[in-house]
This record gives sequence, structure tokens and C-alpha cells, in this order.
Amino acid sequence: VTLGARAAAPAQSNAPVRRPTQRALSKWRFVNLFSALIVSAAVLYVSFFPLRLAGLPALGPAFNPVTGAWTMAADAQETDRTIRLAGLQQPVSVLLEKDGTAHVSSQTDHDLFLTTGYVHARFRLFQMDLMRRQGAGRLSEVVGKAALESDRFELELGLLRTAQLEWTQASPDERDVLLAYTQGVNDRIDEATSAHQLDAMFTLLGYKPERWTPIDSLLIKGDMTQTLNFTDTPLAMALLNRSLGTDLTTEWFPILPPNTQSPYDPGPYSPASVAPIEQVQSMQSADAAQSAIGDAQQLYDRLAQLPTGLIARGGASNNWAVAPGKSASGGALLAGDPHLHLTLPAIWFQLTMDSPRYHVAGVSIPGTPVVLIGHNEHIAWSLTDAQNQQTFFYVEKEDASHPGMYFWKGQWKEYTTLSYDIPVLGGTTQHLKVRWSVHGPAISERGQTTSVWWAGNLPSQDLDVLLGIDRASSWHEFRDALRGWLSPTHNFVYADDEGNIGLISAGYFPQVAKGQPWLPMPGTGEYDVAGTIPFDQIPQEYNPRAGIIWSANQRQVTTDYPYYIGTASNFFDPGYRANEIHRVLSAPGKLSAADMRALQTDTRDYLAAEIVPVLLKSLSGAKLSATEASAASLLRSWDYYMDTDSAAATIWAYFYGWYVAEVFNPWWKSRAVKVDIGEVSDALEQDLEAWTLHDPGNRAFSAPGVGSRTAADAQRAAFHKMIPQIAKTLGSDPSSWTWGRVHGRVLENLADISGLNYGPLAERGDGRTPLAAGGYPSTHGPSWRMVVDWGSHTFAGVYPGGQSENPASAWYTDRADAWWGGELRPMLSAEEAGSAGGTLRWSMRP
Amino acid sequence: VRLYVAVLLAALLALAGVLLGWWWAAFPVALLLGAVVGRVRVALPAGAGLGLLAWLVPLAVAQSRYGLGPTATSLAAIMGFDRQAGLPVVATLVIGALLGLTGAWLGSALPLPALARRAR
Repeated sequence: VTLGARAAAPAQSNAPVRRPTQRALSKWRFVNLFSALIVSAAVLYVSFFPLRLAGLPALGPAFNPVTGAWTMAADAQETDRTIRLAGLQQPVSVLLEKDGTAHVSSQTDHDLFLTTGYVHARFRLFQMDLMRRQGAGRLSEVVGKAALESDRFELELGLLRTAQLEWTQASPDERDVLLAYTQGVNDRIDEATSAHQLDAMFTLLGYKPERWTPIDSLLIKGDMTQTLNFTDTPLAMALLNRSLGTDLTTEWFPILPPNTQSPYDPGPYSPASVAPIEQVQSMQSADAAQSAIGDAQQLYDRLAQLPTGLIARGGASNNWAVAPGKSASGGALLAGDPHLHLTLPAIWFQLTMDSPRYHVAGVSIPGTPVVLIGHNEHIAWSLTDAQNQQTFFYVEKEDASHPGMYFWKGQWKEYTTLSYDIPVLGGTTQHLKVRWSVHGPAISERGQTTSVWWAGNLPSQDLDVLLGIDRASSWHEFRDALRGWLSPTHNFVYADDEGNIGLISAGYFPQVAKGQPWLPMPGTGEYDVAGTIPFDQIPQEYNPRAGIIWSANQRQVTTDYPYYIGTASNFFDPGYRANEIHRVLSAPGKLSAADMRALQTDTRDYLAAEIVPVLLKSLSGAKLSATEASAASLLRSWDYYMDTDSAAATIWAYFYGWYVAEVFNPWWKSRAVKVDIGEVSDALEQDLEAWTLHDPGNRAFSAPGVGSRTAADAQRAAFHKMIPQIAKTLGSDPSSWTWGRVHGRVLENLADISGLNYGPLAERGDGRTPLAAGGYPSTHGPSWRMVVDWGSHTFAGVYPGGQSENPASAWYTDRADAWWGGELRPMLSAEEAGSAGGTLRWSMRP
Repeated sequence: VRLYVAVLLAALLALAGVLLGWWWAAFPVALLLGAVVGRVRVALPAGAGLGLLAWLVPLAVAQSRYGLGPTATSLAAIMGFDRQAGLPVVATLVIGALLGLTGAWLGSALPLPALARRAR
């Protein structure tokens, strides 16, 4: 460059200069040009094209200040606006409260759903796009091969196929709603694309959203069904059976819970009206079932490696209702807090929807056109996962003389084959063939073909059901609407303005004609799913005499219930939250909305209240070090609340983990169990609770290699081992071991960008408390809290996060602090919102 | 004076291009400028300056209208540099400047036909 510059202006220099020869000049001109070309090409390349290996987007479109990621600053500004929407029939009003809660008021139902689609996409388009891509197996197209296994699995499982079938079978009403909603989403995609207002993540990932379709909305519903009830438990049970043996597996992983629980539907029950499955209380398997276990290990390992959320790992949600007789306000009370993965943006979007047929308020899932949890003018409802078994594995019978076929009901049948292409960013398109038997997709084909029957693959009209709920004005209409609900099975709690309360576990309760459905079964036909429990016989309760009703993923029915609905070991919650909720609700005296709110953030550990007194008794008389004695003293004065400033809470939480390990690890090691002990910890904790309280001499305490022991011996051993370990990390003074030092919670950014997380911050509660906060840090918990008081006609709710997915928006995390503190915000009607301060108005015009 | 006018016009042209959504406008405009100016010592700073200006002005306007603090913080987080909000601003301006600089350099280094040499 220097020489080139000199060459370009030799006459300007006064100093004597040795003029380069013409040859040297030409050489340096060439070098200069060559260098300029190389550097320019490099700059243009990184400006126009992404550097996949470095994880960099194309820098030009990503960072330029007019159409790049900086547009999120303009996108974060909200003002009064007039918006023209293609497809509207009449003008529509949208009010946005100062926290972004949207109130859509329209003169036609069509316009209501169209505008809802627009509003969802306005604030959550990237989230919606990720969710539909997940279900359709198209994440790799935008994030590369890291998502390939997820895409393969989703296509194998069949979410796309099911959504397509549901769309072809949709009722006229459902079609109209989905088409209107789709138009609204596409109106926003058009607007955002032309105005360069797409979410910054689209810009940074270098793609634009495709047109929305009704099938995309159905895919999102499929995602939720999968994350809530597609399980691999039968595979785990098969592996446990193989390694622990049938006797221990039968004892440790029983069908009916070993501990004391509080079912909400205590019976009496009608006799089974369809042939129930074998009432086998033992894992002693028939030869056929044993051989059916097949290659469970390979399939189990494959499923274990899938991203979080694709396999249901136990649920945790609460809901309950209180009748007027027990309510301080004189009207029915209802509370609900569904527990899900806590993300930013949240899974929920809060809105009210008003049109000729709909007057409903609550939370919706962006991408779907209905309020899923909320209230209308007459009824309120919430839901928890019912946890019944909806996933069954079948090992297909094949042989070499019938290639591409399986044996079913006495004849050889051909598999149905579906082909898919999976585009991969930065790679070649992958081709996938999925074979379907009568049971469902074959999801493992290494040596043996295992098909999975999953209720989520039954095409259903669940959207019709939700529209019916949104319109219902009585228990009769609410319950009738739920007749069509298939999956995931939910405990729908109900309370209305006339003082009625109810709870119904609506959904498909598969019944097999024969066999042990908690294990993989032979696919030869005799063990197939033969139907479901009749709707009138599924768990349900209406206006119970006690005036209270509750669910927290516990088994809904007692041991007298005549149907199989799942095992205690992993489908249902151990019941500690349900027991605590029942304890509080059944205490003498009236209950208020404030009590409901307090119970939602209750941190009393029911199991601790049972076990700690036993532990202290075991420790009494034992030789304790000064630190151990101090720790025991803290436990002695503890009230069993998992508060952040409680040191006893830490000691308890660590103790129970060490106790479980002390008892079961030797078994796992000696029997070479290949199932992660964490996956079955719910079952083992229930066992340990039952044995500690009622069977302290159980043989489980005397594991191979540890000699003969009792529960008290195991507790002392665990305590002695645990205290020095805690002291190592938290110091020698047990009073400083506060729960908040070791336990926190984080709201995780949906795109896995840790810098956009909220937290981790110290958090109270644990996995067994009504304020669910399992994990270190906890990433799962109350995704929406709602309390309804029909006596005072007040409605309140909050979810962690905010209405906008834009991290630069004031509505990205503005609700997080209120949620963290256990506060609820009033759920205003459109009229109330209109007269409240700080409300923005959008006038939507055809 | 003619040089200053040329640089100013080029900067305005690049800015107009960026405002129209052609974020790459600084490169061809600077390339043309470099070809006309010819002298590297003039072309390089002029090109870098016009690129910087074309990306800085819209950013400054956005800052005055909306405030870019939360956006810069978010972009830094997305880039993996939590709480370093200045980084995306610097990165943005560097990209703009580099587009102009490389365009001008290439323009000045091109072996031009006689007509263009006379224009120099």
C-alpha cells in the first residue's frame, strides 16, 4: 500500500526519492491489487454469508442498522396504532394494558380469531415458528445438524402426520377458526417482512418465516401433547425387570402406590363395563412378554439422548376448587398453576377475547387460537396433567421369509412406509423412511422392530373441545365439551358463578385386551389397545360433600378403581403436593382468595414432615460430631418450610438424596442396572417413605455388600456421610447452610441464549412442595398462576416473563418479579382495561 | 474542493442506499470513489469514513428515537458477551467502515482504462 501510494504521487514529495523501476512499480501495483481483492472478498464474504463453523451469521444483514437486528429497538416500541388487516370483516379493537395483556373485541367470531392470530404473531412469531418446526421435524433447516436427531424422531413419532389427518377431519367450525387465525398470522408475517420488523432471531439465523398454515397450529398442540405424555417408562421397566429381577421390580415399582395418597375421586366406582386388563399385581411375565422386551436397551438409550421436552419426565401442576360453603366470600373459589418448563418467552400469552359467541379471558399458547386456561362470564377452569399411561410399546414379530412385513392377528401384513426429506442447514438433505404398523410408528429397528402406540397419534378434535369450553356456561356444557378430548389427559378443575365445583380427568384411558402394558408387549394382536374407559367412568367428581376438590398429578382414584390407568412408579406423582394441598384445604375454617394465593406458593415439604421426626429418632443416642449435632438441632426446630433462609431445608434436601443413594446405589451397582436412578427416583422415594414409616426392616436396606441393616441404620449412615460433604462446600457452621445458597431458579431463554435468561436467583420450595421448584437450579415450575373468586367476582393471574419475545422490549421480563414474589395481577375485562391508565389502543381496519 | 464534494456526495449516496435497505451500498460507492480518487492515502480514509457514516447515522437516529441500550445489551448477550453493550455497536460500525474501506481500496487499486485515469 505504501509503495503504491508513493507511486501514485511521486511529485508531491520534496525529499529525494529513489524512484522505483517500472518493473518494481508494476510488481507492487499487482501486489496491491491482489491484496485489495483478497481483503475485499473476505469482507464481502463475511458480510453476505454466514460462517457456520464460527457460528456467525452473515454480518451485513444481521448488523446493519436499518433492516438488521437493531430493528428490535423499534419493534420494542408500542404506541396507539391503526392497522389494516387483510381478511377482516369489521373494525376490531385491541387494547393493550401497560403490561401488554391484550383485549381483542370484535363484532364477528371470524374477526376475533383473525385478530388473535395477528396479535400472537406480533409478539411471538419466532416462538411460534420454532414450535411448528419442532413438531414438523424442520429445526435442522434453520439451526443445522445439531437438531437432526430431534427432527428424525419427531417425524418418526408422527406429529406431522397426525396434524395433517386432524386438519382433513376438522369440523366446519374448527376449520373456520383455524383459517381465520392463519390469516391473522400471515397478515403479521407480511407486515413484518415488508417493514423489516421480523424478530431479530430471524435476522440472526438468516431466514424468513414461511406462511402459516392451520396444520402449524395443530402441530403446536402436538408438541404440547408429546412433552406432557409421551413416555419411555415401559422401556425403563423392562430394563429394571431384566437387571433387578421380577421380584424386586414388582416390589419397588408397583402398579398401585406404596405410600398414602389423597385421590380426589374416592369412589364408589361402577363395575368395569369393558373387559379390564389382567389384574396382575406382579411383574412375573409370561414368556411372550419376556421375549417382547427385546432391544429395550437400545431404544431406551436413544430416547434418553433426545433433547429435553421430547419425552415426558413426570409432570407437576396444581389445581383445586372450593365450594361456597367453605369460601369466605360465599362464592366458589378456583386456583390453578400448571407447571412446565419456564422459558423466556413463556409458553403462555395472556388475553381476553370478546365476540358475539365468545367472552373469555386467560392464557393461550401462541400458535393456537383459544384460551386454554381461564374464565368466561360464568365458569372458570384450569388443568393439570392426569399422568395416565398413554404410551405403549409393541415388539413386532418378523422373519426373514417375509421381508418388510410383520405378523399380526394370524397373518403377515406389510408396513406402511412414509418418506420425508429433512433439509439441513449447511449440510445435505437427509432422507427418512418411517414404517408404520397397526400399532404406530416403528421407532427402533436395530435387530428388532419396536412400534409405539401413543394416544397423541389419535387424530382428535381437541380444538373443538377447547372452543366448547370457552363458550360453556355450566358444568353440564363444560363436561359435555370434554367428551371429545383425547390427549394429553388432563385433570380439568371447574368452578362457576352459581357455586358449583368439579374435577374431571378427561382424555383417552387406553385399555389393552391382555398383557402387561407397563412393559413392551408382543405386537401379534392379542395385546393391542382395545378401547378406552367409558367417559362416565373416568375419574371425576362434582360438588363433593367436603366442599373441596384438588389435583396435583396424583393418582386420581383409590385401589378399588376397576381399570388400569398406569403404574405408581413413574406415570403418577408421588402425591406429596396433593397431600399438602389437601391438608391445607381440609383444615377447619373458611378459605379466601388470599389463602388460595398463599397455597400456590406454599413451601411446606409434606415428606419432610413425615420423615424428619423419624430421622431425629434414629439419630438420638447416636454418636454425633459437633457439626452433626448442630445440623440435627436445626432439623429439630424446623417447621418443614423450604424457605431460602432455612438451613434445615438444605440439610433435609441433601439428606433425602443421600438416603436414597445409601439404600439403592448398592443395588444398582451389584445388579448392573442400566436405568438412570434419577429417572425412577419418584418411585424409589415413595418406596423409601413407605418402608421408613411402616416397614423399617425391609430387605431393601440390606443391599448386597452392606450387610443386614434397618431403616435407622441407613439413615445414620447417610447422615454421617452427608454432613462432612456439605461442610466441605458450604463451611463448617450448619446454620449458614441456607437453602437459598444452594437452590435457585432460572427462566431460560427459548433459543438457549444464557445471557437472555432471567436468573438464576435464590428460590424457595423444592420438587415436593406446592410451589414446585425441583432441580439445581430449577427450570420447571408454575408457568401460570390463577385465582378466581366468584363471590367477589375477582380474577387474578400471573406468569413468569412477559408478553413479548423481544428481549429489548419492556414486556420481555416485566412480570417475572411479581411472579417470583408470589403476587398475582388483576385479570381485567376489556372495559376495565379501557379505563385503566397506560392502555394502548390498536384500531384494526379491514 | 472537488475531492471534498466527491467524498460528500459518495457518503450521501451510501447513506441513501443503506436507508433504502441496501446495507452493502457503502462498498460499491466507495469502490467508485476509490477508482475516481485513485490516491490510496485519500481513498482509504474517505472510503472508511463514508462506510462508517452510512451505518452510524441510522444507528444514531434509532438511538435518538428509541434508545438502543436494551437492544445493544440483548445483542451482546446473543453474541455471548453479557453486559458488554458497546460491543455490538462497535461491531456494527466496524462492518460499515470495512465495507467502505475495502471498496475504496479495491477501487483505487484497479488498473483503469485511459478515460478513468484522465478523470483522476
